[in-house]
Amino acid sequence: MAFLSQSRGRAFGMKMAACLALGVAVFATLAYAAGTQIFDPKTRKWVEYDRKKARSYYAAHQQVPEAFRRQIVKFRTAEKPGTIIIDGNQHFLYLVQPGFTAIRYGIGVGRDGFGWAGIVKVGRTAEWPTWTPPAEMVARDPNARKWAGGQPGGPDNPLGARALYLYQGDQDTIYRIHGTPEPWTIGLDVSSGCIRMNNDDVTDLHSRVAVGAKVIVLMQGASLYKGV
Amino acid sequence: MVGKRLLRRSGVALVSLMTFCGTGFAADLVVGMPNWPSGQASANIIKYGIEKKLGLDVEVREMGTLIIFAGLDSGDVDVHPEVWQPNLDSVVKKYVDERKSVQLSPKKVTATQGLCATRETTEKFGIKDVADLKDPMKTSVLDTDGDGQGEVWIGAETWSSTPIERIRARSYGYAETVKLLEMPEDVGMAAVDAAAATNTPMVFYCYSPHHVFNLHEIVELTEPEHDQAKWNIVLPAEDPANWLSKSSAPVAWAPSHFQIAFATKTSERLPKVASFLSNIDFTPEEITEMSYALEVERQDPAAYAQQWIAKHADRLEAWSK
Repeated sequence: MAFLSQSRGRAFGMKMAACLALGVAVFATLAYAAGTQIFDPKTRKWVEYDRKKARSYYAAHQQVPEAFRRQIVKFRTAEKPGTIIIDGNQHFLYLVQPGFTAIRYGIGVGRDGFGWAGIVKVGRTAEWPTWTPPAEMVARDPNARKWAGGQPGGPDNPLGARALYLYQGDQDTIYRIHGTPEPWTIGLDVSSGCIRMNNDDVTDLHSRVAVGAKVIVLMQGASLYKGV
Repeated sequence: MVGKRLLRRSGVALVSLMTFCGTGFAADLVVGMPNWPSGQASANIIKYGIEKKLGLDVEVREMGTLIIFAGLDSGDVDVHPEVWQPNLDSVVKKYVDERKSVQLSPKKVTATQGLCATRETTEKFGIKDVADLKDPMKTSVLDTDGDGQGEVWIGAETWSSTPIERIRARSYGYAETVKLLEMPEDVGMAAVDAAAATNTPMVFYCYSPHHVFNLHEIVELTEPEHDQAKWNIVLPAEDPANWLSKSSAPVAWAPSHFQIAFATKTSERLPKVASFLSNIDFTPEEITEMSYALEVERQDPAAYAQQWIAKHADRLEAWSK
């Protein structure tokens, strides 16, 4: 692996990272400047990986750094194939495969991480989903106003090519795993709470995942977990 | 189930009536099943073993440990397959020593519990002893949420060990330097998997026998050995408001073990069952195999138990004597 990644400088200041996708209010946050570092094997140093670097890297290579590209990795686990494990801290989503392997995808997460940890499931999925901006966003952002009634699915839609809707039991959690029209944001903490993947990856994940699949969200953000 | 248990004691007429109403026959015996894998396997081995050797109808029912104990006391439940001590010392004292409504099998399976880390954590990041957890510089590498402070998973919210781990963290002093996380075991174990896959450090509550020792290179953190004089535990159930402030345990867990428990009423009603349960002699290795089979190989607890029974006719024979 040429690049490792790690998250730094993020703090949780809100009760729940609400997701733009469903139009839920995004609460005020005390978050520090979000940031990711990646390990540069040439200099053997951790280097900042911010929005500017991500854009220039993507412009130069037409893809994200190697750590965040889709790849099969060794992954010893007791979870059965088909389970999704989300590590927001390292910006990885694992889809468990047979033989102690997993497909690892790079993800972008919310400015405040995922906001919670626990076990949910894929309740439903959608291809080229409609995006409806939250009322607050409609009120403050003229660009969002024109989509107050819902932006149809397509290449400019913030939800990208596919969406996996995460449920707890039969209840929609308001969290989604979705695509993005901004692939250079993979590896960053930029969205408003959901898990974003580039469109090729979310399409690949969608093709492999069954409704009902178990989704484990790791402890990043677990300070907000009930009982902690 | 209260209805079923009443049925069991109320004679043929009631049984016939309820059967007519579609409820079905009640089991002769109810085995409480905890939510961890070896407990699930052993509950089912007990069920199929007793059904095969003693010809009784046995029901396995999932429930929490304290509910099982209340059921053993009231007569609604007959067996708990895996009672951990010292975790449940106070519960054992109440039901076994004082009320005498519950009995423990004389056969014990030795176990360990404490804090573990991936080998990488101990060798590369120097976190080897619980004292290292008091050093914020060392524990900052355990940070997963970007606030600069490390996190340690101390178990599931429902486990009897979890409040004790919180007491230990406070007593040792690392409750001040790391954030203590409580969440389901699957989340804790998946975090270990992800840490191992990326060579990222991680410290977590661990117990053996457990399959995680077969999945990853796991090292137990060292700590001062157990001293009963320093082990003062008040559980939340005993004092919901002040259990933490009243407790202190700046030492390792006592050498742990677990045993099968059964209701005194059951031993009087079905002495052969009590004898069978008292003869069960699982080894730590067998318990680890059970844990691995159910959690890693995804085997169904009932199917696994039936295979186990088929392969271990000699053991069943010995337990039946």
